[in-house]
Amino acid sequence: MNAKLSGESALVRTVGHTKAHVPGEVGIWVFILGDMLIFGAFFIVFMYYRGLNPELFSQSQAMLNQNYGAINTLFLLASSWFVAMAVEDMRSKQVRLAPVFFALAMFCGAGFGVVKIIEYSEKINAGITITTNDFFMYYYIFTGLHFLHVLIGMGVLVFLWLKARAAAKNKIARTDDVIEKDMVLIESGASYWHMVDLLWIVLFPLLYLMK
Amino acid sequence: MNTKAQLFCAWCGVGFLVLFSIGWWFIAGYIPPISPALSASEVAAFYQQNTGLIRLGMAITMFSAALSAPWVAVIAVQLKRIEGEFPALTYSLLVAGAVGVVVLVVPPMVWTTAAFRPERDAELIMLLNDFAWLFFVMTFSPFFIQNLVIGLAVFSDKAESPVFPRWVGYFNIWVAILLIPGGLITFFKTGPFAWDGVLAFWLPLLVFFGWFVVMFPLLLKAIKQQEQTA
Repeated sequence: MNAKLSGESALVRTVGHTKAHVPGEVGIWVFILGDMLIFGAFFIVFMYYRGLNPELFSQSQAMLNQNYGAINTLFLLASSWFVAMAVEDMRSKQVRLAPVFFALAMFCGAGFGVVKIIEYSEKINAGITITTNDFFMYYYIFTGLHFLHVLIGMGVLVFLWLKARAAAKNKIARTDDVIEKDMVLIESGASYWHMVDLLWIVLFPLLYLMK
Repeated sequence: MNTKAQLFCAWCGVGFLVLFSIGWWFIAGYIPPISPALSASEVAAFYQQNTGLIRLGMAITMFSAALSAPWVAVIAVQLKRIEGEFPALTYSLLVAGAVGVVVLVVPPMVWTTAAFRPERDAELIMLLNDFAWLFFVMTFSPFFIQNLVIGLAVFSDKAESPVFPRWVGYFNIWVAILLIPGGLITFFKTGPFAWDGVLAFWLPLLVFFGWFVVMFPLLLKAIKQQEQTA
């Protein structure tokens, strides 16, 4: 009887181990995949209308400043890396650098925002607005909606930073239970931020680079 | 516990969907939308050729719109179960839902005004047509708040067996965000962000209808759960 029981629990353990780990709570993926679906639809629509008028699109594209786009790509890539490092640190019993990494990620996010605002105001001062032509309609709407995602993401990062700070202050080694509870929140927020990064990585070549 | 009233309200949501589709889509023929790029005489011609159907269709559409009130109310009842004594999100849902009924009632009345005297100046018909479409597609804000507060309330549910599963919270917030592109139609006469465009009209429409389809069985389940636990 005992042997059978322990055999069973060994089975449960093995199954538990081989079960794929979904980062964060499952529900956040409804949002992330849904959101990416929408941006996917945006990109298809953009490609379709670009195909109808390739000259206008490439002329307008030449008026964008690729440096701003490239700097912002670096900002977001760096911030994603900082978030990944912070998540890794949060997995340990003694949290040390996670708050610093989250703060650095926020700094990069803020840098993205500043560059974006400089870029927008340059364009508007040059008389280029959402109604200038089709290309700039997409430019403003897509980057604007993405910027909205960045702003929400900054709020998420503040929340994660507070969580990490509380965990770092907790000098007593954290129990597995606490770690697991924290990780669901941390991984959900981090997954969202990675999505914001990923969307920009598609947006940047689509708007600034594609010939 | 008697949940008959709640079930009735939930079915009103289905009634709204069916009657609205019949009146607005199949009888009046507003799908696909009249393009905002058409000239005044082309717009007027639509009202002159379909006068009777538009009048009938808009009467049905106007009636169906108020069926969304019981639907929102029953969702609010379920949210109240989550929130308890101080249901700020539930009240927000009720207020936004009430405004939502107005947003769904006014455009049919303006469309029917255009069809009331189809022989009048084409420019005036176009003005009414513009007003109705802008009001109908662009006014996403009450629906945005409606879905947002449902999402927030679902997240706040800490019960052992929650009223709605947590993914419903994410789903509602996703729907809320998807309604936003409708707010851009004031800038465009053609393309995906015009009022007949794929991103400002078709996608939000699909998502809005899909929201009913997803929420309906979940509501029935939540009502059943309430009946069993009470």
